Amino acid sequence: MSNETEDTGVRDLMLRSLDRIVEEKAGHAVQAADGKAGFPADLWSALEEAGMTALGEENEGDLGLGNAAALIERAAYHTLPVPLAETILARRLLAKAGIEIPDGALSVAPPSANRDGKAAGVPWASAVGGVVVATGPETLSLIDARDVAAPGFNMAGEPRETIDLARARIIATASLADAPRIVEAEGARIRAVQMSGGMSRVLEHGLTWANDRIQFGRPIARFQAIQHLMAELAAEAAAASAAALLAVEAAAARSDRFAIAVAKARTGEAAGRVCAIAHEVFGAMGFTQEHTLHYATRRLWSWRNEFGAEVHWQSEIGRMIAAGGADNLWATLTAHG
Amino acid sequence: MPEFRFEPVVMPPAATSLRAEVRAFLSEEKAKGTFVPTVGAMVAADPAFSARLGARGYLGMTWPKAYGGHERSALERYVVVEELLAAGAPVMAHWIADRQSGPQILKHGSERARKMILPEIAAGRCFFAIGMSEPDTGSDLASVKTRAVPVAGGFRVTGRKVWTSYAHKAHYVIALVRTGGRPEDRHVGLTQLIIDMKSPGIEVRPIINVYGAHEFNEVTFDDVFVPEDMTVGAVGQGWAMVTSELAFERSGPDRFMSTYPLLVEAFREVGDSPAPMEAAELGRLVAHLATLRRMSTSIAGMLNEGRSPVTEAALVKDLGTTFEQSIPEITRRLLPLEPRAAGNGQAYDGLQQLAQMQAPCYSIRGGTREILRGMIARGLGLR
Repeated sequence: MSNETEDTGVRDLMLRSLDRIVEEKAGHAVQAADGKAGFPADLWSALEEAGMTALGEENEGDLGLGNAAALIERAAYHTLPVPLAETILARRLLAKAGIEIPDGALSVAPPSANRDGKAAGVPWASAVGGVVVATGPETLSLIDARDVAAPGFNMAGEPRETIDLARARIIATASLADAPRIVEAEGARIRAVQMSGGMSRVLEHGLTWANDRIQFGRPIARFQAIQHLMAELAAEAAAASAAALLAVEAAAARSDRFAIAVAKARTGEAAGRVCAIAHEVFGAMGFTQEHTLHYATRRLWSWRNEFGAEVHWQSEIGRMIAAGGADNLWATLTAHG
Repeated sequence: MPEFRFEPVVMPPAATSLRAEVRAFLSEEKAKGTFVPTVGAMVAADPAFSARLGARGYLGMTWPKAYGGHERSALERYVVVEELLAAGAPVMAHWIADRQSGPQILKHGSERARKMILPEIAAGRCFFAIGMSEPDTGSDLASVKTRAVPVAGGFRVTGRKVWTSYAHKAHYVIALVRTGGRPEDRHVGLTQLIIDMKSPGIEVRPIINVYGAHEFNEVTFDDVFVPEDMTVGAVGQGWAMVTSELAFERSGPDRFMSTYPLLVEAFREVGDSPAPMEAAELGRLVAHLATLRRMSTSIAGMLNEGRSPVTEAALVKDLGTTFEQSIPEITRRLLPLEPRAAGNGQAYDGLQQLAQMQAPCYSIRGGTREILRGMIARGLGLR
């Protein structure tokens, strides 16, 4: 990223400020509610006032995708039930297409869930002022779906609604080459970053638990079986973090698609293993609605499916390398230093 | 809460031209037939090839010119190393000397040892083995019994080392020996010594490995004299050196690229329009590899800045060896040896079989997976 050193100070301030907002406005009640309790307007206003909802657009003199990604990662770590990542993603896509960006919360429809005139799996569609949809192979639109969205939720209880596109009001439309592919890739990058944040939460939670939980007269962390499970969890979380960063940096280098595919495939795979290990370590305690472990694990299970599950991106990588020829694999891997 | 961040590394501009230069050299060598790409990373040895690398300035790259080095950055060295591994080149002869022994001698050796040994390593003419394990000392390294008794002008070494790779051709071995205390004293009283393999009293017996190759050996020391200026680091400080510095050798590309040549051959077999399962499974492996490479280069950057990412390095080796072991298992499901579809595929068949037999050693050499996971757990604050 450009101005990396300068950015780092700003980034730390921003993350600390997010932590403070979470402490004041979120707390367990909001995090536990997931989307089913409705849009947490208080929390959203606090984020908006802090300038956190308008980051990451191109040519906007903003704080850059690097900072936006850091914020999205931390919001995912806090399991905040707001469309923060979606709003940042939507603004980024609107900027790309040259569509004027409205204020307030926004969302994005995942292109692969579009069929029969309906956009399915749309985050928070009825709660936001605009949804970005790839309405054609070369067209990006901003629509108002507040009155035409059928309710639905992902595994984490985050709103994932179905929009009847014919009945939605179109706010603006612009041509954007390869619109569905771009929306899919940008969405995958954001979900990869969120998964990285979710896994750092699970790791932290698991370490605290393993050191606190006493069985057989000692913390379960003293058992080699638990140590090895947690080591594997940490390794997967670390790989996910590295893969997500790869995709964030690729945006600056304009070498996107391969890096995004790697990131979504690798973080999604790590998410599966991380959740499985965490639940194993927490035992029956972690398998209740009352416990907080599922705030992150249910989101991870959901996010790994959204904007293309692992197999989708793995296949794309496989086809890409095969088409380039076996002997060019190494050149692809080392193309950017 | 430990946080692992793998910040990006900006490769120096010189690294790009260097990469092209190394790649051109390697394809020339392959075209001349000096080597056929093989799996195993540091398994195949060719002293003449190592000497050609030395002549081109690819060994001892980061060392001072005064000791035969080339004063280049650790990241430039990284580029050379990964290009060699990607090509499946025969690097075993010089590998230990260049990666491990040379840097240790440079940092902790006597001036005489540096002057005598380092220029020879950099020239690709001097090879090393590592003497750590013993018949009764495997993962429990602190229990070594090989003893070095102080005598006038040095030590007399008696004992036995096993699994000593390349000892039958190496010029020196750096051995971890007990200069004080008893085996029960564990970490206390251990010292690293540079032992000249031509010294009287050394016997080398081959230990043939599971697939019939002669890579490692049993080395017996019977009252072998070692001059006092051939210690590496202070007497009695061997344990600290072994645990701190060797940990860094766990994050290099040799910990995840052992079976890379097999992955390339698998892509050659599936051709330019792979079946869905082939595309997905091979694509998955590429995603793992790109991620591991990112982690590994990031750690190289941290080391370059003088940081000590010990836990991160262990994480890379754990993930990396699991990955390189998975390549033969996954490719054999896509491209079984029997029944086979048409096509020649001889390179694939050979590498597939060798990789299957070799794979168990990847998570044993350099610290077993279980030992590493214990280290990671310590880094995580669980023990």
